[in-house]
Amino acid sequence: MDKLVDLSVSGLSKVYGRQSEVKALDDFSLAFPAGQCTVLLGPSGCGKTTVLRSIAGLITPDEGRIMIGDTVAFDHARRTEVPPEERRLGMVFQSYALWPHMTVAENIAYPLLSSGLSKAEIAAKATAMLDWVGLGGIGGRYIHELSGGQQQRISLARAMVGKPRAILFDEPLSNLDARLRERMRMELLALRQKVPFTSIYVTHDQLEAMTLGDRVVVMRAGKIEQAGPPEDVYRRPRTRFAAEFVGIQNLLDGTVRGRTGQVVHVDTALGTLNARGWRDDRAAGARCTVAVRATLLTIEAGAKRADGAGHGRVVRSAFQGSSSIILVDVGGTEIVVECLEEGRQEPGATVAVKPAPNAIFALLDD
Amino acid sequence: MWRRSLSWDQLVLGMICVLTVVMVSYPVVSVVLRSISKDDIGSELTLQWLAALFESGRSRDALINTVIYAAGSSALAMVVGVGLAVVAVRTDMPGGRWIGILAVLPMLVPPFILVIGWIAIADPNAGFVNIIASLAMGSKTTLVNVNTMAGIVWITGLFLTPYVYLLVAAGLSNSDPAVEEAARVSGAGRLRLLATIILPLQRPALLAALLLVLIMSAGDFIIPATVGLKSRIYLLPSLIWQNSNSFPPRPGMAAAQGLLLVAFGLVCIYFQRRALSRGGRFTLLGGKGATTIPFRLGRMRYPLAVVAMVFALSSSVIPMLAVSSMAFMKYWAPYAFTPKNFTLDNFSYILFKYPQVWPSARHSLFLAVLGATVCVLLAIALAWYVIRLRGRLSRVVEYALVLPLGIPGIALGLGILGAWIAIPGGLYGTLWILLLAYVTAHIPIAMQFVGSALHGIHADLEDASRVSGHSWLATLRRIDIPLMRPALLGSWLLIYVVILREISLVILLYNPGTIVLSVGLMDVWSNGFYPELAVYSLLLMVLGLLPVALLWKFARFSAA
Repeated sequence: MDKLVDLSVSGLSKVYGRQSEVKALDDFSLAFPAGQCTVLLGPSGCGKTTVLRSIAGLITPDEGRIMIGDTVAFDHARRTEVPPEERRLGMVFQSYALWPHMTVAENIAYPLLSSGLSKAEIAAKATAMLDWVGLGGIGGRYIHELSGGQQQRISLARAMVGKPRAILFDEPLSNLDARLRERMRMELLALRQKVPFTSIYVTHDQLEAMTLGDRVVVMRAGKIEQAGPPEDVYRRPRTRFAAEFVGIQNLLDGTVRGRTGQVVHVDTALGTLNARGWRDDRAAGARCTVAVRATLLTIEAGAKRADGAGHGRVVRSAFQGSSSIILVDVGGTEIVVECLEEGRQEPGATVAVKPAPNAIFALLDD
Repeated sequence: MWRRSLSWDQLVLGMICVLTVVMVSYPVVSVVLRSISKDDIGSELTLQWLAALFESGRSRDALINTVIYAAGSSALAMVVGVGLAVVAVRTDMPGGRWIGILAVLPMLVPPFILVIGWIAIADPNAGFVNIIASLAMGSKTTLVNVNTMAGIVWITGLFLTPYVYLLVAAGLSNSDPAVEEAARVSGAGRLRLLATIILPLQRPALLAALLLVLIMSAGDFIIPATVGLKSRIYLLPSLIWQNSNSFPPRPGMAAAQGLLLVAFGLVCIYFQRRALSRGGRFTLLGGKGATTIPFRLGRMRYPLAVVAMVFALSSSVIPMLAVSSMAFMKYWAPYAFTPKNFTLDNFSYILFKYPQVWPSARHSLFLAVLGATVCVLLAIALAWYVIRLRGRLSRVVEYALVLPLGIPGIALGLGILGAWIAIPGGLYGTLWILLLAYVTAHIPIAMQFVGSALHGIHADLEDASRVSGHSWLATLRRIDIPLMRPALLGSWLLIYVVILREISLVILLYNPGTIVLSVGLMDVWSNGFYPELAVYSLLLMVLGLLPVALLWKFARFSAA
């Protein structure tokens, strides 16, 4: 990579269609630090792809400004718009977007065609890039002869060959099957650790987001719901939406009992839980919501808890290989528990649901 | 370096759109205006021409004849075309592939071949069939007669068959097998499946085919001017021609008759659009690689194959053989099929002595090559504007491009004549007015091919090129055009062939200095010497088929 640069967008707005009320992007601002991978995470329609395509220049936002390094790529107020071909970015598409009428080598060499390099230099660079992604020797083949994983690597090689200022990933792994996705995820991680580059990665898969992101930005309806390091987003989502999106199944109503340092003690249907949130202003007696990850709960058959809390009746249980999902009715609230041990429970059995030892749950903002 | 990227391409392409819209709609306006003007456009308005349409007995008869002729030949084309498509695409009929090839062959053959071929076969006196019948019966027997309404309906119906076949076969082979399997599982037998699922699902294709053949038959000039005149069956196109060319010309009357054809075409299109919007556009494209199960015909396999083969051969190979044999005859008369009557003189006369043939061949080739090229390039620009840029004029362009499809050939020619004769600068009487007519008439064909090809290119492929540092123009050149090449070549070849044989459109536009091969046929026809006519039409066919034969491997001939 030439030189690592920051990217930033500020005040981006976009409405698709003339009459549409729904904003794909609503006054969206975010900085993408140099050398880091920023993951935009969210469900379809949250605006994450719109951000990415706006940065690439493939979409013209209705308002706002986009900076790449110290150059203005887009500025609505100054009527400035640099076309995509002049932004010097690389992009990896969900559909791979490899050209079927060109060989693998021609595909990879394509971004270099307008670079002023000689044919021999271009060919040498394409070959080197192909070796680098572990596909040396297949430069003469056509795209349809290759597997999905190979295609995605070629797509990556093409995105990187021109030494772009940043690489944009648009759900690059979602067309691959589960096992290949897993492998490519690890390969991308290894690649990032080998050569640092600035990247923006769009996905709806929380696993990819957690693995690959230096920073994860959860998006909802064209706005930022929460941004932070993956661990923060995973362990301490701020909102119901973020909690559900990072896979937390239980959102329990509770009352603040007190606090010890940053840990807040909350009374819930499962007894008193330790939780941490982002707000410090909650007094004892305040109503709040605790997000409880199913894997941080355990189940004991027939056992009685000393405090009497968490007693319930198994509604349903589903074996899913590495773990079991057990649905327990605790005083009218359905609690989802995921246990790793052979804990299959018959419906109707009386059980006690307990938090895992030392577990600290997420206290939501709202 | 900083600029808004879309401004100038929007502007240039937008202007191309405006010019195209003017080009295709101005002739219609000119027909309308001329038909209600006493003299040239601009003179006082009158309804006398429109009134005369129904007062004049000849005009009224021609109208009735045209309705019978268009309805009859369209019905025949639909029955044969759909039938051949179903058996060739969806059954286990032996030779299904061959039927498919034979069924589309007439598209590449000039309709004149069919006319002369069927005269050779079914002339009441000298037709092969009648000669054989006479020999068999021992006395003069006329089994079939081409010089009747039934005769011209037969020829035109066969000529129109490939258009129906192509549209319907494309739909049938693309349909989703799961839909049919669901009906089979629900207890539908083969015939019920065909009647309740397969054909109804093809309604858009069927309607499009019906519309196309109705308009083509109503505006066809070749049959009315040849067999039609000979058998004194007058049709609107032949009257339009007479009113334009006889002395004194009656352009107002011709315009009124043209207006009738225009109105007919537009009404057809209106009903087609309405039917499509009500029934929804079913686009049931099958999953990748999904193959439909062929119908088993059982005991009917071979009898049905014979019937299909007879129809498939009748529309191309049989008339071609008849014309070819005629080309070698000294004279064409009853019982002329003898070795003594063999000669090559017809070839040497037409190819080397007939003064008109090479100039008109030069004109034809020039116009066909240039016309097809302009159509394809224009279609690329329009398709890019409509599909990729989604410019403001997109809807207007799409509606305007329906016009040439809806306006029968001779009426369009009349419109172009009236539209451009008034413009000073002398377009009329040059090859350029012919080029303009060809481009106006055929731009919708090119647009259908290019449009569907461009739709088929995932926008990511272009975006990837843009992000890789190439401008939209470079992207069009390096990505889209190579990917669309089969469709571009297919539409180019198709338009080339159609221009070469087109008569209806240009019969009113040529003059002796700009005569083209197809129109020259009419002169040879008026000499009345069939063997020379046969050679001439074979020449026309060879010129048309040459590039097709060379390039068909690289082309794709369906717009679906």
